Amino acid sequence: MTTLTDSPTDSAPDPADAPRPRRWPRRLLAIGLVLVALALGGWLGLRWLAPYPYSGTVMQAPTEAPPMDGLVLSDGTPVDVDAFRGKLLLVYFGYTYCPDVCPTTLSQVAAARRQLGSQADDVQLLMISIDPERDSLDMIGRYVESFDPSFLAATGPIEDVERVASQYGIYFAKGEPLGDGYAMDHTATLMGIDTNGHLRIVWPAQLDVDRLAADLNHLL
Amino acid sequence: MLVLTLGAIAFAVFQPVQVLPRIRLGPGYALIDQDGARLTSEDGRGVITLVSFASLDCGTTCDDVAETMREVRERVDADVDLGGTDFRLLTFVLDPSPAPERVAAARTAAGADWEWAAGTEAQIENVVGLGFRRSTASIDTRPGYAIVDGWGVIRGEYQYQTLADDADKLVRHIDILGSELRNDSGFGSFVYGAAHAFQCYP
Repeated sequence: MTTLTDSPTDSAPDPADAPRPRRWPRRLLAIGLVLVALALGGWLGLRWLAPYPYSGTVMQAPTEAPPMDGLVLSDGTPVDVDAFRGKLLLVYFGYTYCPDVCPTTLSQVAAARRQLGSQADDVQLLMISIDPERDSLDMIGRYVESFDPSFLAATGPIEDVERVASQYGIYFAKGEPLGDGYAMDHTATLMGIDTNGHLRIVWPAQLDVDRLAADLNHLL
Repeated sequence: MLVLTLGAIAFAVFQPVQVLPRIRLGPGYALIDQDGARLTSEDGRGVITLVSFASLDCGTTCDDVAETMREVRERVDADVDLGGTDFRLLTFVLDPSPAPERVAAARTAAGADWEWAAGTEAQIENVVGLGFRRSTASIDTRPGYAIVDGWGVIRGEYQYQTLADDADKLVRHIDILGSELRNDSGFGSFVYGAAHAFQCYP
């Protein structure tokens, strides 16, 4: 006869008294994984939500780029801003006798454009000469091509240049004598017209080539 | 991700930070001031400018606008922290090619001590008509103001209402611009960038 005391069950140690398996390492691992997942999700979310930090000033309202009526390209073709839709159009107001800021800016745009690789063809620079008195169409064409063969240049009667420049926030006027001629005082910002023909961004005169290239890449 | 999305929605709805929109580029110009000296848009670079418009013979309307401008300046100087950015007033004269003496006399009559800019008919059409998109006819037909930031970007456009309303709104909006100028760096630039992206406008 088997008594209760003989039962194997009774002879086994009480499970309540048995040492519990160590679960803390697993819990810590689970908490760690959850935290990592949250951090990763947060980082991805911030990347998704965060506005891109352009190095220029971005316009909120989608404003149509002002027309350039009266201006002609160096080959004599009238400038039609709408014809550049589908490309990122960079507009700069300068002149060929410009001693410093114009060649610097054009060189920087050319360098930034080179960084874009195959996308460079989607970026078009257009320089408007603010000095039509001295800058002939042939001169401005050759001038901008010396920085990048893809660059275009345009100018026109002074009253048309003044009207267009004003709408792009550009001031210019004859300045101090320079050599045998004169310098032109002018606003040296660079404007970006997006692929939909909206004036989207204005970069300051002091450009950073890498940041400009990143901005162009993002705008494309 | 869900929390961030909800947070973004809450940000857009409750607008804990407000900004003035970057409406469009203000016009570039090289005009003449009341003393016959050159006055250009570059003079406003890095400065917040409150712009108004005046006809030389518009009388009480221009006096009211000038009084509002003075009040705004006093209140901004006293109560608004622009983070070290200068604030200035500027009035564009709608009359074409006036003699500087006429501009100076009208400016004095209006009790204004800030710059008044005048130019040819074509220049005023470029600046006021195309740039600020306002009528270049007499100010009595469409008086108003604009706020231009230090980048030359138009941040606010206002129609003339009443003296008290105009001053209150202009000061409040300049204060919002001041907050952005003070805080738009580091994490703040992310917050203000989001406020622009979500169009958290007053």
